[in-house]
Amino acid sequence: MAEILEAHNISKNYGGVRALKDVTFTAYRGQVNVLVGENGAGKSTLMKILSGSEQPTSGEILLDGEPVQLDSPRTAQARGIGIIHQELSLFPNMSIAENLFAGRELRRGSAFVDAGGQRRRAREVLKRLGQDSVDPDTLVGDLPIGQQQLVEIGRALLEDVRVLIMDEPTSALSNHEVDVLFEVMADLREQDVTVIYISHKLDEFRRIGDWVTVFRDGSLVAHESMSRTDTGWIVRQMVGRDPDSLYVRNSSPVGDVLLDVRGLTVPGTVKVDDVSLTVSAGEVVGIYGLMGAGRTELVETLMGMRKASTGEVSVRGVNEPKGTVQARMAAGLALVPEDRQRDGLVQTMSVRDNILLSTVARMTRSGLLNGAAEQKTAKEKVGELAIKIPGLGAVVTALSGGNQQKVVLARALLTEPVVLLLDEPTRGIDVGAKSQIAGLMAELAAQGFGVLFISSELAGVMAMADRVLVMARGRITAEFTAENVTEEALVAASASESVLEGHS
Amino acid sequence: MKYLPSRRAFIAVSAASVLALAACGSGDESSSGGSSAAPAASKLVVIITPSPDNVFFKAEQDAAAAQAKSLGYETLVLSHDDDPTKQSQQFDTAISRKAAAIILDNAGADASVTAIQRAKDASIPTFLIDREINKTGVAVAQIVSNNAQGAGLGGQEFAKLMGNKGEYAELLGKPTDTNAGVRSKGYHGILDQYPDLKMVAQQSANWDQAEALQKTQTILQAHPNIKGIIAGNDTMALGAYAAVQASNKKDIVVVGFDGSPDVVSSIQKKGIKATVLQPASKIAQMAVDQADAYIKAGGKTDQPEKQSIDCVLVNPDNADSVKDFAVAGS
Amino acid sequence: MTDTHVAAPAPTAAPQPEEPGSTALARAALLLLRGRTLVVLVVLIIIFSSISSEYLTQSNLILMTKHVAINAILAIGVTFVILTGGIDLSVGSIAGLSSMVAGGLLFKGLNFPGGTVFFSVAVVILIGIVVGALVGAVNGLLITRFRVAPFIATLGMLYVARGAAQLHSNGGTYPDLAGTEARGNTGFGFIGVDSILGIPVAVWIMVAVAAVAVVVTTKTPFGKHIFAVGGNERAAVLSGIRVNRVKIAVYVISGACAALAGLLLTSELGAAYPDTATTYELNAIAAAVLGGTALAGGRGTIIGTVMGAFVIGFLSDGLVLVGVSTFWQSVVKGAVIIFAVITEQAQQRLQSSLTRRTA
Repeated sequence: MAEILEAHNISKNYGGVRALKDVTFTAYRGQVNVLVGENGAGKSTLMKILSGSEQPTSGEILLDGEPVQLDSPRTAQARGIGIIHQELSLFPNMSIAENLFAGRELRRGSAFVDAGGQRRRAREVLKRLGQDSVDPDTLVGDLPIGQQQLVEIGRALLEDVRVLIMDEPTSALSNHEVDVLFEVMADLREQDVTVIYISHKLDEFRRIGDWVTVFRDGSLVAHESMSRTDTGWIVRQMVGRDPDSLYVRNSSPVGDVLLDVRGLTVPGTVKVDDVSLTVSAGEVVGIYGLMGAGRTELVETLMGMRKASTGEVSVRGVNEPKGTVQARMAAGLALVPEDRQRDGLVQTMSVRDNILLSTVARMTRSGLLNGAAEQKTAKEKVGELAIKIPGLGAVVTALSGGNQQKVVLARALLTEPVVLLLDEPTRGIDVGAKSQIAGLMAELAAQGFGVLFISSELAGVMAMADRVLVMARGRITAEFTAENVTEEALVAASASESVLEGHS
Repeated sequence: MKYLPSRRAFIAVSAASVLALAACGSGDESSSGGSSAAPAASKLVVIITPSPDNVFFKAEQDAAAAQAKSLGYETLVLSHDDDPTKQSQQFDTAISRKAAAIILDNAGADASVTAIQRAKDASIPTFLIDREINKTGVAVAQIVSNNAQGAGLGGQEFAKLMGNKGEYAELLGKPTDTNAGVRSKGYHGILDQYPDLKMVAQQSANWDQAEALQKTQTILQAHPNIKGIIAGNDTMALGAYAAVQASNKKDIVVVGFDGSPDVVSSIQKKGIKATVLQPASKIAQMAVDQADAYIKAGGKTDQPEKQSIDCVLVNPDNADSVKDFAVAGS
Repeated sequence: MTDTHVAAPAPTAAPQPEEPGSTALARAALLLLRGRTLVVLVVLIIIFSSISSEYLTQSNLILMTKHVAINAILAIGVTFVILTGGIDLSVGSIAGLSSMVAGGLLFKGLNFPGGTVFFSVAVVILIGIVVGALVGAVNGLLITRFRVAPFIATLGMLYVARGAAQLHSNGGTYPDLAGTEARGNTGFGFIGVDSILGIPVAVWIMVAVAAVAVVVTTKTPFGKHIFAVGGNERAAVLSGIRVNRVKIAVYVISGACAALAGLLLTSELGAAYPDTATTYELNAIAAAVLGGTALAGGRGTIIGTVMGAFVIGFLSDGLVLVGVSTFWQSVVKGAVIIFAVITEQAQQRLQSSLTRRTA
C-alpha cells in the first residue's frame, strides 16, 4: 500500500483556538480515504491545509515522500491536488463545457475562445465520468444537482488530478445520484486517482471507502482499514460513546388527532398530489422520500407558504381554510424549514431576535418592546433546548449548525403550536447534535405535541418515527409502523409509484 | 400588527390613477392632429424649447405658439429638457411630420448642429431663438438676446446700487451653460472697473432656487459684511433674496437676470432691486414672423442669420410696465 | 455565559473571551471603523475650522444643521426602505410634488364648483404629507402586489411624481406662500424660517423625526420586522411576518418623510417650484450608505444615517464657505462617499474574522 500524501504532526491555531492538534494523516494511493468526525472536529481544516488554502502552524506535508510547500490552492493544483467543496461553485447560466473551462479557457490565437476544442475535451471528461449521453452544451442550471456535482468533479479531472478531496459531496444528492457518484469514484480509483472523502453519512461511505480516519476535537483518534470496522465502532470513535443512545425513540401514548390533511393537491413542477395524512398528539410521524418527491412542498403548503388547489387542512378538528402563514400559525402549526440559511435564520440578527422573530409583537408594553420580557423569554427557551450560545446578543451565524437548528426550533415553539413540522431536522449537523434533536422530538411528543418530520436518512427516519409515510412524485406511496418498517421496503416505496397500488 | 389596512392601500391606487388621469388630461401640447400625417404642404410649426419649468422658456413657448396660430399654423410644442439626445429625437419627429419650420431654443451649442443640419437636408428651415449654435449656415436665423449687453446693464445698475463700493458675492449659473459664462463676463466687465467693489465669494448654484438659498446662507456666514449679491438668473436671485430675508441684513442688494414675473413683482414690492429683461416673447414672435416670411417667399429670407436683440433693465422705475418678458412700448 | 444587550440591531460581534495582542488591536480598529462616520465628521470640522474662523461659530453650526435637516429627514425615510432591502429613488420627486401641492393650496387655494377654498397652514402641511405617503403607498403596492423590482418601481415614480409636480402648475412657480389673514392661511414660514430657543424649527423637526424613527426601528415589533425582512425575506415570511405590509409601510414612511422635507424646503424658500429637490434622492441614499446602512438590507441604524447626513451637509457647506469651486465640491463629495463604503467593507471583514476566531 503506497502512501501518496502525508501530513506529519500538523497543528493549526486560530488566535488562541487550536483547530488541529499534532495530526499525522496518511492518504493511500489509488484508494478512497474517508474522513469522518463531528462538525468542528478538524476535518475541514486539514483539508484546507492539504489543498493549499490554509497554512499549518507547525508540521510538514509530504507528497510522494518529498516535503512540499502548498502555499496557495494554485500550487496544490499544480501538484495534482484538487478539492471539491460542499457548496457547488458553478455558473448555472453557462454550458457544461464553459463551466469546465471557466477561468482557463482554451485559446485560439490570443484573443478567441476555442469553443470547439473545449467541447471536444468536455466530451472526453464526461465520458470518463460515465456521462456519455450528456451534451456538453447543456446549461449547468438545467442539470439535476447530482450531475452538477459531476461537472464539478470534471473541473478537477481536467487538471490531471492525482489526489481529489471531496467535502461532503452527497449531502444534496438523491440515492440514485449517490450511486452514480460512487461508480465514478470507483472508476477514478481504477485510474489510480486518490480520493479523500469527507462525509457524515455512515451508511454511504462504508460502501465506497477503503480506509477510514476519525477526527474528534482537533485530533486524529482512529485510522483503520474499512473492512476491519463496523458502523458502531465508527460512531463510538466519533462521539466517544455508544451509538445505541444516538436516537431516542418516542414512547408516549398517542392521543387525539391534531392534524388532519385530506386530499391536498398543489400544482407545480414539484407537485403534491392528493395527499391525506393525520398526526396525533404524542406521535412522531416521519416522511421519507427522495429529493423532489414533494415533501418540502407538502409541509410548505401546510404552513401556508404555497397555495393548495384542492384539499382540506384541519387542526384540532377545526378546518383552516385561509391558508396563509399567519392563519396556519394561529391554528397551531409551526414549521422548522430544511434550509436554515435560506429559510430559517435572519443572518444579520442576533440570537435573541431570531428566537423572538415570530412572537416579538406580543412582547410589548404600550406599543414599545419590553426588553426585559424579551430577554426572559429568549433565555428560557435557550435553557429549555440547551442551546449553546456565546450570548443572546451574538450574531446567529456564530453558532454551530445544530445550535442554529435549535434557534429555529425555539422560534417555532414560541408560537405555541400543537403540531410541529420539521423539514430534514438532522441534515448537515453532526452526530451529537442529531442525537439531541431526536431526543427533543421525543420529548416534545411526550409533552403532547404532534411531530411531523421529513428525512432522507433511512437510519434516522427508522429510529425516530412511530409511523413512516413514504412520498414519491407528490403522492404518499406507502405507510409503515415502527414495528414493520424495513430499509428495503422504504427504498422500494420511495423509488416507484407502483407500490401505492399494493398498499392502498 | 396593522401597519396599513388594505383599504388605505386601495385609496392609494385610486389616488395614483387620478394622478395619472390628470397627467393625461392637462398636457400642454397644442398639437391638434395627434399622429395623423401632415399634408404635403404642411402648416405645422414645431416649437422646441428647454423645460417650461422655467417661466422664461414658458413665455417663449407661449409667445411662439400664439404667434404661429395667429398666422394660421398648427403647432407642436416640445421640450428637450436640455438633453441633446431628446432634442435629436424631437427633430426626427418634426422631419417625419414634414414640419414647415422649426423654432428652436437649443440644447447645446455644438450638440445641436447635426440635428439642425438633418432638418435642413429634409428642407425644413430652423429658426434659433435665445441660444446660439457654434456654426453658421445651418439654421436660417439665430435670434438671441444680447446677453453681454444685458449683463453690462445689470452690472452697471448693481454698481450704482452698491454705491460703487463694498463686498459682494456672485451666484453663477450651470457652469456648462454658455450664457452662465457670458453673463458673468459681462458683469465683471463693469464691476471690475471699480476698485472698491470687492467680490468675496463666487459659487455656482446651477440656476436652482433652493441651491441658491442654501449657498447664499453659507456665504453670508463666511462673509458677514456682504452688501450685495448679483445672480446669473432670476431663480437664483429669488433664492438669494429668500436667504437675505431670513438673515437680519435685509438691506443687501440683490440683482438678477431674465425679467421673470416673480422677480418683477418682487421689484415692485421693493424686494429684489433690479433684473435684466430678455425680450423672450419678442424674440419668439420675431422668429415665427421670419419663418412665415421665409415659407411664403419659397425659402428665402432678407434678414441676416445672426440677429442680436438688446436686453432691457428692469428696476422700480419701469417694473409696472413689464408683462410676460416684454416691457410695454419697447 | 456572557450576554450583551444591543439597543440598536447593528451588526454585533459575539462577545469574545479576552485575548491579548493582535486581537485587542483589531478590536480597537473595529471600534474606530464602527464610529467612522463620527470620526469623519470630527475630522471635517477640524479641517474646515482651521481654514476658516467662520466655520466653527454658533451661527454657522446652526445654519449647517438646518441645511442638514432636509437631507436627514429624506435619508431617514429612505433608510427604512433600504433596511428592508429595497431602494427609493422617488423621494426627491415626492418632495417636489408635495411642495407643489402645498404651494398650490396656499397660493391659489382649491377650486370647487362653489368657489375657492383656502385651508389653514396646518391642514396644508398635513395634506402635503398625506400626498407623499400616498405616493409611497403606490410604490409599495407596485413592489408587493405587482412584483416590480423596487429600483424600477421607484425610478418610474421618480418621473411620474416629477411630471405630476410640473403639471400641477403647468411648469410655473408659486411665488408667494405667505398667505393672507383674510384667507386664514398665514404662517407657512414657521416650519422653515422660524426658530424656537434659537434653534430653527426645521432642526427640531429633524430631531423629532429621528427620535421617532430610532424608537420605531429599535423598540417596536415593526422595527424588528423591518430588519427581518431585509435580513432574510423567506425566513420572515415563514416566521409569520406580514412581509408585504411591512414593505408597503416603509415606502409610506419614506414618502411621508420626503414630503415633509419638501415642505421644509418650500417654507424656507417661500416659493414652490416644480424642480424642488431634484436629485435629492441621491444625497439621501448617500447619507444612508455613509451611515453604514447596507444596500442589501438588514443592517443599519437611523443614528448612522443622520450622522451620514451631517457629514454630507457639513462637507458641502464647508466647501462653499471656504470658496471651493463647484467642480471640486463634486469630486470631494464623491470621494468621501466611496471612502466610507470602503471602510464599511473593512469593518465587515474585520468583524467576521473576529467572530470566526472564537466560533
